[in-house]
Amino acid sequence: MGEVYEVTIWARGVTQDMEGRHLSLLIANSADKDGKFVQAWDDYADLPDRVQVPLRKYARISDEDLEMRYDYENDHPNMSVIMDDTIVKGINVLRGMPKGGVLVVNTKRSPEEILKFIPNKDLLDAIVCVDANSIAGAVDLDFMGSEGGVETVSVGAGISAPIVGAAAKATDRLTLESLVAVAANKDGVKKGYETAQVKSL
Amino acid sequence: MSDFKFPEGKEVPRGAVLPAPVKENRMMITGNWRTDRPVIDHEKCTLCLNCFIYCPDACWHLDEEEEKMVWNADFCKGCLICAVECPAFALTAVNELEFEDGVVRLEKPF
Repeated sequence: MGEVYEVTIWARGVTQDMEGRHLSLLIANSADKDGKFVQAWDDYADLPDRVQVPLRKYARISDEDLEMRYDYENDHPNMSVIMDDTIVKGINVLRGMPKGGVLVVNTKRSPEEILKFIPNKDLLDAIVCVDANSIAGAVDLDFMGSEGGVETVSVGAGISAPIVGAAAKATDRLTLESLVAVAANKDGVKKGYETAQVKSL
Repeated sequence: MSDFKFPEGKEVPRGAVLPAPVKENRMMITGNWRTDRPVIDHEKCTLCLNCFIYCPDACWHLDEEEEKMVWNADFCKGCLICAVECPAFALTAVNELEFEDGVVRLEKPF
């Protein structure tokens, strides 16, 4: 097993549960299109059925076959995606991150304002801020598919599309072409890629 | 359960002993659920104690010496029931990132 690129996604319970899972599915599906070995999953340990509780979704990308089948958490995430900016005050979102990681934040604020709340920012290589809520339109409060994870028709219709587009701007593990191909909201992915503010550290 | 001392020399059934949340249960901090916080305007507040009654997590209490309501940042989930129930409109919702304080950064969520 070669090097594994780990992505941890932080979302808020119930309201962003589906969007968080779509984000991990988009990352995995697009890398799968690029010919990588991928995993995407969410676990139940974070109590996702409570409104606004911070919860995690995960994705892994590797050039070789992934043998980590029973590790349900990413212990060393190379990328951390925050789907609601206020999570940075409640959680150490860079926990276990090796040096040179990437932080993607869904916020209308600037990267400098978010960095004030990251005490261990020396681990970061870049921070990306994207205002996904205004790109995707109304904040998605549809509970469709919040249980089970079998719904695959409209993966990436809400705020997950701009966020994953912004993530592609900071890492070469994700390609914009594959992301546009797998996401339902194709304009959202492109707009997220274009409007994302990247700050290298 | 690290900061809870099991009663010595006392036999109890499994799962029967829990520290009572008499004051604050530091093992279940829920402040990181909050996206917006209620900000009180002490000029408008009439000390009617509606926020104290309606808060599901007992995050408001009356400071009797100062004669004003005190808010608990560590456990407030930001449900904003208090802001809805306030008859004097003394409470407003403000986004959490407007404030430097109120950081309850947990290493592990649960």
